[in-house]
Order: sequence, then structure tokens, then C-alpha cells
Amino acid sequence: MIKISNLEKVYKTEEIETTALNGINLHVQAGEFVSIMGPSGCGKSTLLNVMGLLDKPESGSYKFLETELLTMNDRERSNFRKQHMGFVFQNFNLIDELTVFENVELPLIYNKVPAAERKKLVNEIIERMNIVNRSGHFPQQLSGGQQQRVAVARALVTKPKLVLADEPTGNLDSSHGNEVMELLCELNEQGTTIVMVTHSSHDASFSNRIINLKDGHVISEKINKTRTEELI
Amino acid sequence: MFKLNFKIALRNIWRNRSSSLINISGLAIGLAACLLLLLYVSYEWSFDKQGKDSAQLYQVLTNYTKENGEIDGTGQSTGNAIGPVLKEDYPEVEGMARLTHGWDELVANGQSSFKKKVVYADQDILTLFDYTFIYGDRRTAMDGPNNVILTESAAKILFGTTDVLNRTVRHENKDDLKVTGVIKDIPKNSSVVFDFLLPWALLVKNNDWAQHIGWTNNNWATVVKLSKTADVEQLNKQIHGLIKKHEPESQASPFLYPLSKLHLYGKFTKGISSGGEIEQVRLFMGLAIGILLIACINFMNMATAKSEKRAKEVGIKKTIGATRGSLVTQFLMESLMLTLCSSILAIALIELCLPLFNNLLGIELSVAYANPLLWISLITVVLVTGLIAGSYPAFYLSSFNPIQVLKKKNTKRGIQSVSLRQVLVVGQFCFAVILMIATAMIYKQIQFIKDRPVGYEVSELVEMPQDGELAVKFELLKDKLLKSGAVTSLYQSSGSMAYVGSNFWGMEWPGSTEVDKQVVFNQIGTTYDFVKTTGIKMIVGRDFSEKFASDTAAVLLGKSAVKRMNLINPIGTVIKYQGSPRTVIGVFEDFIWGSPFKTDDPMVVTFNKEWRSTITMRLNTANPAATNIAAIERIVKEINPAYPVEVKYVDQIYARKLKTQKVLGTLSNLFGGLAIFISCLGLFGLAAYSAEQRTKEIGVRKVLGASIAGLMQLLSVSFLKMVLIAIVIAVPIATYIMDTWLKGFEFHTSVSWLVIVLAAVGTIAIALLTVSFQAYKAAKTNPVDALKYQ
Repeated sequence: MIKISNLEKVYKTEEIETTALNGINLHVQAGEFVSIMGPSGCGKSTLLNVMGLLDKPESGSYKFLETELLTMNDRERSNFRKQHMGFVFQNFNLIDELTVFENVELPLIYNKVPAAERKKLVNEIIERMNIVNRSGHFPQQLSGGQQQRVAVARALVTKPKLVLADEPTGNLDSSHGNEVMELLCELNEQGTTIVMVTHSSHDASFSNRIINLKDGHVISEKINKTRTEELI
Repeated sequence: MFKLNFKIALRNIWRNRSSSLINISGLAIGLAACLLLLLYVSYEWSFDKQGKDSAQLYQVLTNYTKENGEIDGTGQSTGNAIGPVLKEDYPEVEGMARLTHGWDELVANGQSSFKKKVVYADQDILTLFDYTFIYGDRRTAMDGPNNVILTESAAKILFGTTDVLNRTVRHENKDDLKVTGVIKDIPKNSSVVFDFLLPWALLVKNNDWAQHIGWTNNNWATVVKLSKTADVEQLNKQIHGLIKKHEPESQASPFLYPLSKLHLYGKFTKGISSGGEIEQVRLFMGLAIGILLIACINFMNMATAKSEKRAKEVGIKKTIGATRGSLVTQFLMESLMLTLCSSILAIALIELCLPLFNNLLGIELSVAYANPLLWISLITVVLVTGLIAGSYPAFYLSSFNPIQVLKKKNTKRGIQSVSLRQVLVVGQFCFAVILMIATAMIYKQIQFIKDRPVGYEVSELVEMPQDGELAVKFELLKDKLLKSGAVTSLYQSSGSMAYVGSNFWGMEWPGSTEVDKQVVFNQIGTTYDFVKTTGIKMIVGRDFSEKFASDTAAVLLGKSAVKRMNLINPIGTVIKYQGSPRTVIGVFEDFIWGSPFKTDDPMVVTFNKEWRSTITMRLNTANPAATNIAAIERIVKEINPAYPVEVKYVDQIYARKLKTQKVLGTLSNLFGGLAIFISCLGLFGLAAYSAEQRTKEIGVRKVLGASIAGLMQLLSVSFLKMVLIAIVIAVPIATYIMDTWLKGFEFHTSVSWLVIVLAAVGTIAIALLTVSFQAYKAAKTNPVDALKYQ
């Protein structure tokens, strides 16, 4: 589904240049669950941002279902993003002024889904995420695990082909973290492609494939046999 | 989407209650001030524009030319000959009315009598101005010499009802007039205002001086209505020599000027319109926009200061798929909502302040809620304000890069926004400081003029009109009043001491030339005790005296008159005044007769028994004033029972000469105060925000041993710097503006450094107080709380 080749990204400040991505090549098949790991500053978040069209690389190619995304302008990128991608962040990034229901509904509004259908879709997903009884609450009234479930619900409500997760368990204790990871696995089993950045090998063990980055290079790739077998 | 954004906006307003309050109330005050001023501007703007034919109405003005052909002055009064000739000889002139300038006359309903404002006019006035008739017929209402048209409120005062057609009004205790029309009250913003409209024929019947048809007896206003197709410029060329044709001696040339423009553009320099009231209207518009801008700046500053809080929301929405456009719309909508709240509050404020404002300006403004134009303009102002106030935050916030804000790496933009915020705050305080200095200077100028010696003893001097029997029984009145002990002396004269009554030219004296005949002199005609009563200082000679029979042919001259006439030994000099010889018997120190802001024309006081209009009395200071006035009223009523007694203090009339400047002073005081208040409200919000942002820093510093004073200094200094910069910029601008303003007056004070220093220190003190409150609060917090909070 995703073909990334020769991706380069350099951060420039007045004094120094930092190469974040240095000729990355990466293929992701539809239905895969890929973890990206590596030490701080290895470029894993940058890679995820580029994949999510939140950041622009200097050079390289990024094909999504045979469509080249890097030549798109801002509006096209924004459209593509809202149609095909969902995001889960470490710090949840829910809008404090909106209730759980409204937070989940927001991407549908941007996708111009009619109100009645929005209601149906949101109810479906929050039921699936087991947060129905919280739908009228504001984010700050929920626990971290619940907040992340809302964030996952929001990422999934548009039925995206690709979910990008940036350290989804980073702000959670281990039991809540496991809850979220199990949720992601379940989604993956239902067919959603997931790319996750993490520094926890425990979390990475939930995925099919683990990619290790260092200094902007892919240094190793490991197929997670147990999960792959499960998949087959 | 709209609904959701609306919810976010509401919840945001609620969550940041204190800053919302600052925003809304600041904007409400700004809007109220702005709308109030705009209400006034629209009042002035629609002056004389109410009638459906108002665009076709022109007033006949006259340019006066000096011997060298230069236009010397422009007058709004005409003789009584030009109007009928214009209507007769020029087909473009569809209608013409001569009007008296409007003065009070006695009207009675049989039981009680009132002095009410009357205007005498030609019949055509009813076709010129489309008065709304409640009773009566427009076509016949003015067709007889004993007809009278009443305004609604005059009818109510006189008869208690408006249904008074064919009833009788006793006029000047002499004529019985028949009510032939009752019209709706005339809007206050009209040039021609009256309670009673009387036919021209009545004026002619009762006054000898109105019977003579003349081209230069400039006692009236003449208004004409031109046909829709008329070419005014062409017509003005045709009538240019009209007065000279009939009076070859005259230096006057008439021209037509749109009546609807006369109020705003009534000042003429060398025959060309050079402004007038429009200057005040422009000033008010500037003030209105300035105040509103200050409030908008608060809004922008508060919104951008809070940007970090909003940045996260922007980041999330952008990742999820919001376009920049949708975010801009959201923030604009938020600001429009706040503006809407403010405007509702503003309307309440206006309703509250309108009576006060009306009282101050001496006009009657009201909010015409039924007028769609009002709503359209209100909505426009709200929209424009909302857009201006919201535009910067909207474009600024929506430009955030989602990754940066979600990871809190938003430092570079922070620095940029702070500098713009500083510029805006500096702008606010500049405006406020300029207004403060202007206010102080206006008051200083008023004080300066107040301190100018008037030239006579203005206090304890009272005057009343010499109406009815008082004209013929003056000697009796004088005798009775003096005997009563209420007054120590009194005189009759052609006019008041407190305002210009009459002038003339064509005087001749030993050594005078033809050119000297053009010199304009002021004149007062009086009999005995003029100097004694007024307290004017005689330089040489004496007052008119009954001991000298020859004094009936004597004059007194003002000091500047003597100077103008180059008389070395004025006493005993015989001059030719109004064609007959007069002997100078005294010279007095000049006194202020007209505007205290400029030099009066030279003054001639002549002995004249026939010119009676005003009785001026010096109260006996041995008695309480109230007793004196009561005694005067009793005696006058006895002699002249038909008329109400109107005793006025001359010093109060004199004080009215400073009214325009006082209004200006009060307004700039009021709006300067508001400007400072709104600016400080904004500063208060910014200081609160800055303190909140630096909570952790303050905590750390406290742990390391910083004192409260040191912390307050840390928090206040950056704000004070901005105020100081504002003062540095504002002072030269204010000095320049006020210097120009002062130079418009012949007698003026100067811009003083004391005023500027006071304004500067005042502003700093107010700003310091505002900021230090927040700084103190922040500095006093327990350091542990501050650290835990982060």
C-alpha cells in the first residue's frame, strides 16, 4: 500500500543542520501492523509525520496506493489526509472544549458527512471502544486510558485505510497501555493498516514487523513471527 | 460544523471568564462610545436634510468686497428686497421665503401668557419645507395676515391639546390671531426652528422698520427653492451684480448656497466655503474610530496572548483535516460572537448614557429603533469590528504548524507575536496620552479666556427684555426699582452687555477719509447711568448726564475706537454719526462684547432714547440676591402685567460664550478617560496572562531567594517600557495638534511642559497601578504552588 523511497529530511537552524531522514526506503503492505523503533532523535517521529503528510521531506518519493503524495499542494494533502488517515498521539490531543462525542464526530464534520450518518457512525465506534457511557463528558473528566480510547475512536471513525500512532501508550500506565495495544491489534485484525512509533519493545511485540531506525537510516527489519503466523 | 464551532466558542468564553469579561466589557465601552459619537455625527449630518425637497433649497448669502476687490466677509442675512425679485425675474426660482431669525414673543391663550420662539415668513415657506400638518390645510394656512401656525408642543403648552384649529392666540398683547394649522414639531437639527409661524404681513403691519423695502437692510434670511433642472452656478453668475444694480454704493454680491450644506460648511474665507461644524463632526468621527480601535486592539492582544492555549486545538483540527479557511472562519465567528455580546451591552450603555450626552451637547439624540437604517449601520459596525478584532488572531492562530504546536516547539512565532502586541499597546497608549494632553490644554485655554478681564463688573449684573409697557414706562420703573432698594442703578439700551447687538459703518470724524467710511463699529444706544451700572472704566470724560441737556447729542467712545480714529484730544470732538453731528464726552476702556477669543470691533456708545430692547440693572449687594430678584419681579409685573418677567444674570450669559470649548473639553475628557480605561483594561489582561505564563519562573526565582519587590519589578518593567515609548511618541504629536488648535484663537495660552509632564506621569502611574496589581498577586503566590502547577 505504501512505497517510500530515498526519503531525505534535513532540519536547519541558524547554526546547524540535522539530517533526520537519510535515504529511507520502506514498503508497507495493506493490513500490516508496523512498528518503528529507535533511540531518541533517530528520525522515527519525522518519518511518521512525513507519512501522515504533516511534514514535507526535502526529496524522495512517497506513494500511497500508487498515488504520489509529495507533489501535492497543501489543500490536496489536507484532503487526502482526512480521507485516508487517522492519527493517535502520545498525549491524546483531544480538544478540551468538546465532549467525547463531539471530539469523535469532528473528523466526520470535516469530511462533510451528513448529521444523521455522523451520529450513527460515532455511536458505533464509541460503543466498540466501550466509552458510550462517557460520551457527554469532557476529556479532562476521563482517565488517561479512556482519553486514548477516545483518540483511537476519533482516528477510526472515518474508517481510514492507514492509522498512524505516535507512542500511543507513552502517557499511560501498563494496564491502560495494554488495553490500547489490544485495541490496535483488534483493529489490525479487522483490516486496518497501522504504523506505530514506539520505544517500548513490549508494545512493538504486538506488531507484525519491527523497523529499527538510527540516524535517519533503517538499520534492521524484523518480522514478528508470532503475529505474522496469527495473521496467516 | 457551525454548531460545533459555536459550542467551542461558548465554552471558551465561559472557561476564560475573566479575560472574556475584559474583552466584552472593553469592546462594549468602545462600541458604546463609538455608536454614541456616530449618532451625533448622523444628527449633524442630516441637518436640514429632512424635507423631501431639501436638495432644492438654497439660502441667499452675500459676499462683501473691499475697495481692492478682495472678498472681505460672507453674510447669511439679506435685505427684504432680493427675495421677491429673485422669484419674479428668474424662472428657476420656484418658491421664496423671507424669514426672521427667530426670537421670543409674547403669546397668550386668554388666561396665561408665554414667551415663545416665533418666525415670520412668506407664505411660500409651506412649500419649501414640507411640514407635517396635524390640523389645517397647507395651501391656505398662511393666506391671511392674522393667521398663526403652531407646532404640536406649542399647541399643547398653550391649550393643552393639539386640536386647536380656529382658536385664538393673543399675540404681543395686541393682535388676536387665528390658528390655521398645527404641525408636527420641527426636528432639532433644522436651521429654521420655531414654536409659532407667523405671516410676513403681520411683521410688516406691526413694525415700521420692516415696511421699508431695501437691499442692504440685512435683517432677514432668504431661502429659495430652485427647480430640479436649475443650474445654480449659472444662476449665481446672473445674480452676481443684483444688489449693486439697485444700490450702486453697496459692495455686496449675493449668491445661492445649498441650505443643507450651510450648517456643516457655514464658514467662509474670501467668499469660499472653508469648513464650519464639519470640523467638529470630523473630530468626533476620529474619536469614535480611535476609541473603537483601542478596544479592538485589546481584543487582538488578548486573543493572541492566549494563542498557546488555542494552538493545541488548531494542531489537532489541522491533523484531522481542517483547512486553514475553516479555522479562520471559526476564529472570526468567535470574535463576532464576542462583538455581538458587546454590542448588546453597548446598546444598554447607550440608553443609560444618552440623556447625559444630550444634556452635555444641548441636543436631543435618540436611538430610532424602528429605523432599518440604524440596524443596518449597527450590524455593519458590529461586523466590521468583529472582523477587525478577529482578523489578526484568526490568521495568526490558523497559521500554526500542527506538528510544531502539538510538540510545543512554538517559540519563533511567539517572539514575533510579542513584538506586534507591543506595537499595538504602544499605539493604544499613544492615543490615550494625546487625548489626555488635549484635554488639559483645552481646559487651560478655557481658563485663560475666563481670566481675560471682561472690562465691566459682570457679577451681580442682571438684565431683562424691555417688553410691552416697560418701553414707555421706563422712568416709572426706574423710580420704583431704585426706591425698592433692590438695585443700585439701571439703564435702558439697544441691547445686552453680554452679546453683540448691532454694528454700523459710514462714520465720519475730523481727518477721516473715504476708506474710513468702510470701517465697521459696534454700537449701543442708551440713555443715562450706562457707565455707573456696568462699571466700565472711564479713561477720560464722563457718562451721559441729565445735568447737560446737550448730552442727548453726545457719544462715548471705546479706547480702540479712539485709536482707530486717530483722535488726539477726543473729548469735545464732533463726529458725524448716522448722518448727524455728535460730541464725544467720554472715552472708556474696551470691554468684551462679542467672542472673548478675539478682539471686538471698535465701540461707540450713543445717546438714544428710541432704541429700547434691554434693561440692565446692578443688584444691591446689601440684600440677598433672591430678595432683590423677587422685588424686581414684583415691580415689573405691576407695571407690565401682560408679560412674564425674565431676569437673567449677565455673568451666566457671558459664560455661554465658552460653551463650545467647554463641550469640547468635556468630550475629550470623557473620551480620553475612556481611552485610558480601555487601554488599562487591556494592559490588565496582558499582565495577568504574562504572570500566569511565568508562574514557574516566579516559583523558581522565589525558591532561589528573589524578593517580592524584585519580582514585581521583573513583571512590570516590560509593560512600563511600552507606556514610556507611547509617551515619547505621543508628546510631539499632541504638542503639534494642540499648538495648531490654539493658534486658531486670537487670544490663546501656550502648550506648557507642566501639562505634558503631568499627563505623562499620570499615564505612567495609572499603568503602573494596573500592572503591579497583577505582578503583586503573582509574586505573592506560594512558590511550591507555582512549581507544582507546571
